[in-house]
Amino acid sequence: MWEKKPVLLIVLATGVILIGTIITMVLPFAWVNTEADRIEGVKPYSALQQEGRDIYIREGCNNCHTQTVRPLVSDVLRYGDYSKSGEFVYDRPFLWGSKRTGPDLARLGGKYPDAWHYQHMESPRAMVPKSNMPDYGWLSANQLDPQVIQHKMETLGFPFTAEEINALKGKTEMDAMVAYMQKLGSDIPWRQNAKTEIVGDLTNPYAGVGHATMEPWEELYQQNCAACHGEHMEGVIGPELIGGDYDDEVLFEIIYTGIADGGMPSFSNLGTDKVWKLVNFVKYYHLGEGH
Amino acid sequence: MENRAYNYAIVRSFVTWSVIWGLVAVLVGVIVSLQMVEPDLNFPPYLTFGRLRPIHTNAGIYGWGVGVIFATFLYIVQRLCKTPLWSDKLAKFQLWFFNATIIASAVTLLLGYTTSKEYHEMEWPIDVMIVILWVAFAINIVMTILKRKDEQMYISLWYMLAAIIGVAILFTVNAAAVPASLFKSYSAYAGTNDANVEWWFGHNAVAMALTAPPLAMFYYFLPKTTGVPIYSHRLSITAFWSLIFMYLWTGAHHLLWTPVPDWIQTLAMGFSVMLIAPSWGSVFNGYLSMNGQWHQMRENYLVKYLILGITFYGLQTLQGPMQAIRTFSAFIHYTDWVPAHIHMGTMGWVSMISFASIYFLIPRIYGREVYSIPLANLQFWLILVGQLIWSISLWIAGVLQAGMWNAMNPDGSLTYTFMETMVEMYPYWWARVFGGLIYMAGLVVFIYNLYMTVSKGKPLATQTASVEGRA
Amino acid sequence: MDLGSLLYLGVTFGLFVIFVLIVMRTYSRKRKDEGEIAKYRMLDDD
Ligand code: HEC
Ligand code: HEC
Ligand code: HEM
Repeated sequence: MWEKKPVLLIVLATGVILIGTIITMVLPFAWVNTEADRIEGVKPYSALQQEGRDIYIREGCNNCHTQTVRPLVSDVLRYGDYSKSGEFVYDRPFLWGSKRTGPDLARLGGKYPDAWHYQHMESPRAMVPKSNMPDYGWLSANQLDPQVIQHKMETLGFPFTAEEINALKGKTEMDAMVAYMQKLGSDIPWRQNAKTEIVGDLTNPYAGVGHATMEPWEELYQQNCAACHGEHMEGVIGPELIGGDYDDEVLFEIIYTGIADGGMPSFSNLGTDKVWKLVNFVKYYHLGEGH
Repeated sequence: MENRAYNYAIVRSFVTWSVIWGLVAVLVGVIVSLQMVEPDLNFPPYLTFGRLRPIHTNAGIYGWGVGVIFATFLYIVQRLCKTPLWSDKLAKFQLWFFNATIIASAVTLLLGYTTSKEYHEMEWPIDVMIVILWVAFAINIVMTILKRKDEQMYISLWYMLAAIIGVAILFTVNAAAVPASLFKSYSAYAGTNDANVEWWFGHNAVAMALTAPPLAMFYYFLPKTTGVPIYSHRLSITAFWSLIFMYLWTGAHHLLWTPVPDWIQTLAMGFSVMLIAPSWGSVFNGYLSMNGQWHQMRENYLVKYLILGITFYGLQTLQGPMQAIRTFSAFIHYTDWVPAHIHMGTMGWVSMISFASIYFLIPRIYGREVYSIPLANLQFWLILVGQLIWSISLWIAGVLQAGMWNAMNPDGSLTYTFMETMVEMYPYWWARVFGGLIYMAGLVVFIYNLYMTVSKGKPLATQTASVEGRA
Repeated sequence: MDLGSLLYLGVTFGLFVIFVLIVMRTYSRKRKDEGEIAKYRMLDDD
C-alpha cells in the first residue's frame, strides 16, 4: 500500500498532520478573541503608541523582555495582575516573548514617570549599574514620519484623528517608545484595585538603631531609589528626600504602596522588613554619627 | 562513483554553503553571548543584541540546518531511488535561490525588518522567497521518488516526505499577514490567537526541520556506516506515524500559564508526554542496530558522532516533555534553562548528525579520503565539550534564577528583586561564552579538515567506497 | 454525559483503533518480509 505509493503516503501524512492542527490550532478561533474575551476599557493603540510598538519589534526588545504575567504567586507579586486574553485583542503580532533576560513588561504602564524612561533608554546602566540592556539614546535622533504612521493605522483599521497624526510632527522615535511603554497593561485598572493593603499595626521595628547599623542599608537605597532620588537623596526624577518631614508610618506607606499618580513606584515586593530599613535609612541616616 | 548520472555536483555545493552558513551562525552566536555579558559591545543601530539574535537563530536553523538537509536529501534520494535527480536545473536554481534567501534574510534582519515571531522573523517578501525555494526542493524530491527504480520506500524517504509537507503547511499558515509596506506587515491573527498559531508553527518547526530530517539522515547514514541494517524497519514505521500525529498537538506547551485556553494547554501537555514513545522508538532502533557492533564506537569515528547524536536526541525528548508539564514549566519557563535545552538539540543532536553525514558524503562526492581522522576525532571532543559546558552551565543558571524568582520571605513578600537575580547570571553567561568558543574551535577544525580533504586528500580507491568511514 | 464528552470519547477511541490497526498491519506475520525488505535493499544502493 503506502510503502510503495509515495502519493498515497503524502496524502495520508497530510491528513495525520491536519488532525492535531485542526483541533488545537484552528478550532480555538471559535473561542479566542470573541465576545467572551472582551474587556471593557481595552482600547486600540494610538498612532504614537502603535509606532512605539513597531519600533519595539524592530529593535527586537522581545528577545529580552516578555509581556505576559502568569497567574503564579511570584509573577503576580513581582509584576502585577496576571494577563488576560482580552487585553491582547489589538496586538498584531503578539509580543509575549519566551525569555526574561530583563523583567516582564506587561504591567509597565504607569510604573515609572516618563522622565525615568527617557533616562533609562538613553543609558540603562546609569540607572541600573549591572543592567545588560543596550543603550537606545539614538532613537531620539530619529524623527517620526506622520504619513507612514497614518498608513499603518489605516492598515490596522485603528481609529485616529487628523490632529493626532499632525501632532506626530517633530516627535521622535524615543517619544513613541515611551508612549508605548506607558500604555502597556494599563487598560485595566489593576493598579487601583491592587492598592496594597497593609495589615496590622505599623510599628518601626528598628526605631532608634544607631548609624553603624544603618550603614549596610545604604546598599538597599542605592539599588532601589538612587536612580530617582539621587545618590545623596538630593533629588533627580523624584524629589529631594527630607525624611524628617514624615512620620515613620507615613513614610512606610509611601514606600510600600508608592504614589501612583506621582510616579513613585510601589516597593511592596521588597517585603516589609526591607521597607522598614529604608524608612529608617531615609529618615535618620543623613543625621550622621551623632544621632 | 560508478553511476556517473547521479548529480553529486549539487551535493558538493550545498555542503559548502551549509558549512559557510553554519560558521556564520556560530560566530554570531558567540557575538550575542558576549553582548549579554558586555553590553558595550552593542553598536547601534545595526549591531545590537535585539537585531543580531534572530540572525543567529535563523542562520543556524535555515542556513546550516536546512542547508545540510538540502545537501543530504539530494544525495540520499538519488541513492535510495537508484535514479538520478529529476531535474539538475531545478536543483541548481534551488542552490542559488537558497543563498539569495539567506543573504536577503540576514540583510533585512540587520536593517530591523522583522515580524518578531520566533523562527519566522523574516518579513513577507522573504517569506515569498522561502515558499518558492521550498516548492522547488519539494518538486525535485517528489519527482525523483516517483521515478524511482526500487519499489519499496526506505524509512528515510518517509521522513523526507513528511518534512516537506509539514514545513509547507506550517510555514504558510504562520506567514499570513497584511502588508503595510514592502518591509512591514501585521499578522493576520491577533493576540492570543497569534500566539497559538505561532507556537503551533514554532514547535512543529522543531518537528519538521530539526527532528524528521535528522532522523531521515540518521536512518540512512547509520546502517551505511556500520554496514549492518537498522534493527527494525517496522518499528521505524510505527514510530513515524505516531510521531507525525502527536507532534502537532503540542505547540501550546510553549504557552503554559498564558491566556491561551486551558484545554489547549492540557492537550499539549498530555501529547508532549506521549511523544516520548515515538521519539524513543527511533532511539531504541538506533541502539539495537548496534547489537554486536558496539566495538565500532571505538574504531569508527562516524559511529561515535551518530550514536552520540541519537543519545542527545533521546535526552532532548525526555527533557522536552518534562518542560511541557505545567508545574515544571512554571519554574523554568523564561529562564536560561530553555536555551540550554535548545542547544542540546541543535549542537548535540542536529549538528552531530550533520557533521557525521558530511564526513560520510565527502569521500563519495569528491572521490577523496578524509584528510585526517585524528582531526575528526579532535573536532568530536571539541564540539562535545563545548556543548556540554554551554548547556550544563545554563541549566544551573536557569534553576538558580528560577529559585530566586520564587523565593519568598516569611511575610509573603519576594526575597529578591529582579536585578538581584539577574546579576547572578553573569558567571554562567561567561561560561557560555567559553563553551561557545570551544565549540567554534571544533567547527574551525572541521572546516580545515574539509578543506584539506578537498584540496589535498588521497584519491579514493574504488573498492573501498562501500566501507569508507571505518578507520 | 453530554454530547461533547461522547464526541470526545468517540474521537479518542477512533484514533486509538486506527493506531492499533496500523500496528497490527505493520506487524502481521504475513508482512514480516515485506515490511523489512527495505532495510536490506538500502544497503546495496552503490
Ligand atoms: C540584552 C537584553 C535586553 C534588551 C535587548 C532590551 N532590554 Fe530592556 N531590560 C533588560 C534588563 C536586564 C533590564 C533590567 C535592568 C534595567 O532596568 O536596565 C531591562 C529593563 C527594562 C525596562 C525597565 C523595566 C522595569 O520594570 O524596571 C524597560 C522599560 C525596558 N527594559 C525596555 C526595553 C526596550 C523598550 C527595549 C528595546 C528597545 C529593551 N528593553 C531591550 C534587558 C534588555
Ligand atoms: C521611578 C523613580 C522613583 C524611584 C525608583 C523611587 N522614587 Fe520615590 N518618588 C518618586 C517621585 C516621582 C516622587 C514624587 C511623587 C509625588 O509627590 O507625587 C517620589 C516620592 C517619594 C517620597 C515622598 C517625598 C516627598 O517629599 O513627598 C519618598 C519618601 C520616596 N519617594 C522614597 C523613595 C524610596 C525610599 C525609594 C527606594 C525604595 C524610592 N522613593 C524610589 C520617584 C521614585
Ligand atoms: C519530545 C520532544 C520534545 C518536547 C516535548 C519538547 C518540549 C519543549 C518545551 C516545553 C519547550 C518550551 C520551554 C519553555 O519555554 O518553557 C521547548 C523549547 C524548545 N525546544 Fe524542545 N522539546 C522536544 C524536543 C526538541 C528537539 C528534538 C529539539 C531540536 C533542536 C527542540 C528544540 C527546542 C527549541 C528550539 C526550543 C525553544 C523555543 C523558544 O524559542 O522558546 N526540542 N521544547
